[in-house]
Amino acid sequence: MKVGIMSFAHMHAFTYAGLLLAHPDVELTAIWDDDFERGDNAAERFKSTFYADREEFLALDLDAVVICSENSRHRDLVVQAAEAGKHILCEKPIATEIEDAREMIAACKRNGVILQIAFPVRFAPSISRARTIIQSGQLGDILAVKATNHGQMPGGWFVEEPLSGGGAATDHIVHVMDIIRWTLQTEVKDVYAELDTRFYDIDVEDCGTVSLALESGAIATIDPSWSRPKTFPMWGDVTLEFVGTKGTLSVDALKQSSTYFNDQESKVQNLGWGDDMDQGLIDDFVQCVKIKREPSITGEDGLRTLEVVKAAYQSSTAKRTVPLERVHV
Amino acid sequence: MKVAVVGLGTMGKVHADAWAHIEHAELVGVCDLDRVKAETIAESYDATPYQDLSEMLEQSNVDVIDVCLPTYLHKENVALAAQAGKHVVCEKPLGLNVQDAQDIISVCEDHGVQLFVAQVVRFFPEYAQASAKVKSGGIGKPGVVRLTRGGGFPRAWEDWYADEAKSGRLILDSMIHDFDWLRWTFGDVERVMTRRVSRSDEDRPLEYALVTLRMEDGTIAHVEGTWAHATFHTSFELTGDKGMVVHDSAVSAPLSVSLHHNEGDASKNGVAVPESPLNENPYLRELKHFAHCILTGSEPIVTAYDALKAVEISQAALESAKTGQPVVLAKMGGGVR
Ligand SMILES: NC(=O)c1ccc[n+]([C@@H]2O[C@H](COP(=O)([O-])OP(=O)(O)OC[C@H]3O[C@@H](n4cnc5c(N)ncnc54)[C@H](O)[C@@H]3O)[C@@H](O)[C@H]2O)c1
Repeated sequence: MKVGIMSFAHMHAFTYAGLLLAHPDVELTAIWDDDFERGDNAAERFKSTFYADREEFLALDLDAVVICSENSRHRDLVVQAAEAGKHILCEKPIATEIEDAREMIAACKRNGVILQIAFPVRFAPSISRARTIIQSGQLGDILAVKATNHGQMPGGWFVEEPLSGGGAATDHIVHVMDIIRWTLQTEVKDVYAELDTRFYDIDVEDCGTVSLALESGAIATIDPSWSRPKTFPMWGDVTLEFVGTKGTLSVDALKQSSTYFNDQESKVQNLGWGDDMDQGLIDDFVQCVKIKREPSITGEDGLRTLEVVKAAYQSSTAKRTVPLERVHV
Repeated sequence: MKVAVVGLGTMGKVHADAWAHIEHAELVGVCDLDRVKAETIAESYDATPYQDLSEMLEQSNVDVIDVCLPTYLHKENVALAAQAGKHVVCEKPLGLNVQDAQDIISVCEDHGVQLFVAQVVRFFPEYAQASAKVKSGGIGKPGVVRLTRGGGFPRAWEDWYADEAKSGRLILDSMIHDFDWLRWTFGDVERVMTRRVSRSDEDRPLEYALVTLRMEDGTIAHVEGTWAHATFHTSFELTGDKGMVVHDSAVSAPLSVSLHHNEGDASKNGVAVPESPLNENPYLRELKHFAHCILTGSEPIVTAYDALKAVEISQAALESAKTGQPVVLAKMGGGVR
């Protein structure tokens, strides 16, 4: 199977490229990037061919493309790739505007191509095991979820609103929101959020909390803050705690790690040894394209999480709880 | 200084024991509706048992009454003590709502007696240390702070905790500890938003709440309160632009005992029981401090006004739980003082 990568703006492109290169069923035949140097270097590093011209790239006989551009450019690239008949794995968040996400979903449907959104956390074994336990009913009815997806401030285009669509809320609500939806099979009813810029001198929010009522009657909060200190032993965290009528469950997707007291760099570091979730994501996508099945993470999954992000911004500005109005797809 | 405790449930016993260990204090009386409780405890500390507060006020020559009664009984019993000219120590929450708390403060003022409220978290060393660290700039400008407190649903005398009208349940009874600590550390609260779930199933009632607060200094706080967990634990994570302080009671316990097969009780097999011993437990530290304030007239670490403000935050959080919208504190009945 021939796969191409469109843009290395998002650092995950480097991880995905490595995994694609190593995949026995995949040839990473082409790379396109609007940044000539970045694309050319990546092509060299991953033994692929660089195309500066997007039309030329899209005219190749690729089966699928992985899109890792800046968030606000997802729409154009996804629509063009869909029209060129390529199956698509798109980095999260799906888009920066709800209307864009709808267009992307429609374009993929029209052209009969797969659109999968990159929510690798679903492929952490601890997370999928948590889902199995919860769905088995062992914890009774789930009443509440307390989730965090903390990180460090990524800088670069992530803090330029026109390219990223927003800061920590855009970057970090969607992963755990996706896990909540996937696990509880319910949607968000209304949203309250406190967002602010308190850590860095940047133009987008770097911290906050989001508080949700779910259709199932459960409640949830998500902390998407870029609040990890420079001395934190890893990049961030992904944690969820579920409170049920018969028990509680807490899961920490990155906890499988050893602690490394590194005198050479005067740092304490966590050395993760758990399964690589990105590997799970890439394997799943390749398999999906191979047998042409429904993607395990759909465009709609991307859209529903984006709607929560948008409602969080609205709520934070209005200082009130706002109802979530889901658009039709 | 002669002291008597009224209400000998969970807290009353802890307080009686603490008073017995305070040098300048003498535990002379203990009072509970339940005669057996009063007599048993009186015997351990060589105090006189009573079943009725008025009787204790008349017959014992005490200086201080320590009220460890269920919350809905604080108001009338503090009033009795104040009217008898006794200084008062009262368990938290001071009252069921701002009005009650204000009435309690007024009755003590009117009778010229001092009032101390047992917001004990200020005397837990990990909380006191973290508060001082934040105030001295240790985390820089605070960003998001997260606190957790709770365990199982409390079961006590006449199941009074289950009745919101008597206890204010989880938000007033338990989360008030974190609200007071937040206000102590970051200043007043601007607005509060609550999500709460409860189940009152037959033998397994549950309550759980996630409260978001915006402090006047801009700090965002997230407080988890639970009466839906199997074991009691507390934790906090305080982030700022220059650092982060993290505490988890489940991780910091220095001592853990785990026994091999217990004859006749295989269920306890291998269960680790963690402990966090201190030379002086927080309740003893607290009451020692109040005793010192009574004797010297100095200002306590936590004033009755602080206790009132903590009730105000809890009341706002309860209101938000009902409306599903944030509540702005300054807008609540014109705010308190
Ligand atoms: N600071 C803390 O950490 C903490 C912990 C638990 C409770 N508390 C507070 O302490 C107070 C007491 O709670 P508790 O758990 O000990 O309650 P409890 O139900 O265990 O004890 C209450 C006792 O009061 C007695 N009583 C009831 N009415 C009486 C009356 N009119 N006169 C004399 N005795 C009477 C009952 O017989 C019972 O023994 C509450 O305000 C509670 O919120 C604080």
